[in-house]
Amino acid sequence: MRVLIQMKPERDVVEAVANPQLTATTQDVAGSMPGVELDQSFTPVALPRPVPTTTEGDPLSLTQQLRFSMRPEDATVLVRGEIHDYDAASRLSMLALSRPQIVGISADPAIQTSPTCPGDGPVGNWQDVKNLLAELGADDLDGSGIALAITDTGINTQHLSNELDRPVTVDAARSWNPPGVTGKPGQFPVDHGTMCAFDALIAAPKATLIDVPVLLSQQQGPTVMSGLLSDAVAAYSHLWSVLETMPDDKRALIVSNSWGSFSPRWDFPPSHPGNYSDNPGHPFNLMVTALESAGADVLFAAGNCGLDCPDGRCEFPDRPIVGANSHPRALSIGGVDTRGNRVGYSSQGPGRLDPNKPDICAYTHFEGSHAFGAGEPDSGTSAACPVAAGVVAAVRTQWSANAIKPAELRTLLQRTADDRGAAGFDHDYGFGIINVPAIMDALRRRSKNGHGIRR
Amino acid sequence: MAPDKPTSLITVTLPSGATLEDALRQLGIGRDAVDTDYGLVDLHNGTYALLVTEAVAERAHGTPGARGPYANPKIEPFGPPQPGRDED
Repeated sequence: MRVLIQMKPERDVVEAVANPQLTATTQDVAGSMPGVELDQSFTPVALPRPVPTTTEGDPLSLTQQLRFSMRPEDATVLVRGEIHDYDAASRLSMLALSRPQIVGISADPAIQTSPTCPGDGPVGNWQDVKNLLAELGADDLDGSGIALAITDTGINTQHLSNELDRPVTVDAARSWNPPGVTGKPGQFPVDHGTMCAFDALIAAPKATLIDVPVLLSQQQGPTVMSGLLSDAVAAYSHLWSVLETMPDDKRALIVSNSWGSFSPRWDFPPSHPGNYSDNPGHPFNLMVTALESAGADVLFAAGNCGLDCPDGRCEFPDRPIVGANSHPRALSIGGVDTRGNRVGYSSQGPGRLDPNKPDICAYTHFEGSHAFGAGEPDSGTSAACPVAAGVVAAVRTQWSANAIKPAELRTLLQRTADDRGAAGFDHDYGFGIINVPAIMDALRRRSKNGHGIRR
Repeated sequence: MAPDKPTSLITVTLPSGATLEDALRQLGIGRDAVDTDYGLVDLHNGTYALLVTEAVAERAHGTPGARGPYANPKIEPFGPPQPGRDED
């Protein structure tokens, strides 16, 4: 929690703060303050004391005539810092009692413009995203030879090639259709899946796409409970087989999932043994565990049910990151715009299977694939997830799942993320925004220290 | 009354390499009670998934090695995000 601390330091310190010709730092004003991470970059601010203009005035009323005194014996000084979110109320009370010079403490909320919301125009473009991830190219981490599965509405390679002005590879032999879906890999109508593929290729331009149009299934039952997650179960079983054919020292499969469930009406209640949203024992959640255990990096979009401006389809009353989107063995990806601000629709934790969700954030709401027409952004955590999946695929270019286990890579991405929001993990940004320069530093250190084996 | 289509998700424990016919035998049901297009899906943990009629799924509790029914919810793409009801 960010706080403003109002202090009454020694007179000469107040004079130094109030006089623009002099300089006083937070260190000069507050020294050290155990339990508070003082912001040393903040220039202390002198606050004048309001004084009634008449001797009979009410010292507590702001509705009378007042003058404001900046005299050293009257003025106070503001510094700012941060205290841990845990048990914040008690910490604030203890802080107020810890130093006699502290005369007041107040919240220092972040001042933001309105967050990016559904319907807003793009914030930056895919070249901006590419630049933010550019350092991957310095070590030739481009996804060459890496299989990247897009489980979605199918991919249109012609559109991708036109937009990117270069060929795009879809591995037809390792792609898979749900029962009843007859289209060919890489030849599906331009839609959400093509957007996801485009966004994955930003960081991993040479990755080999595996087309898994699981959202195209037309299978519908007599009630709203009947649907398509069973197709995802079958898709993951296929991907497990794909992974098993890879030699151990070359094993790498990234699975990008920009979909999920919007409503508890489509599920059994959490108390039911067949429930999906809260039940790690559901067959699909078990398949995620199996695939990750076999060496796959599984990424799920966190969802678009953020409190600021949720998608109109959101129906979970709370904790909207459900089922596999909150799986402890998957990375749950929230969304930020290219300015690094969380988009208002990005779902917030805690997650239902694992409370510490989302894990990290990646970029979304930029002009990119034009899959939805000119001027329409690649948006939703749907876009953020494949952007992050592309980064993972790029890393896998030289680091197989044997060299860095999927769990280790998740930890590396979390540990290197650019922290935003409250200090450390929070339920808006997770551990922060995916941070390619820090990932590269960590990989280079790992290599230098002899940990892990390059492919 | 709508016909009981095979849309309920259950799992059954079977030996490695099992076929749909093996699952039908274990469950004591005919092909008309399962989604044969979906088939038998290997979950790679000693169990297999299949889609059966609601009536078969309800009986699954009592069948050795069978579990379910499990929720089979509709899944949708997370984008583009649609405006909320009060933003329409």
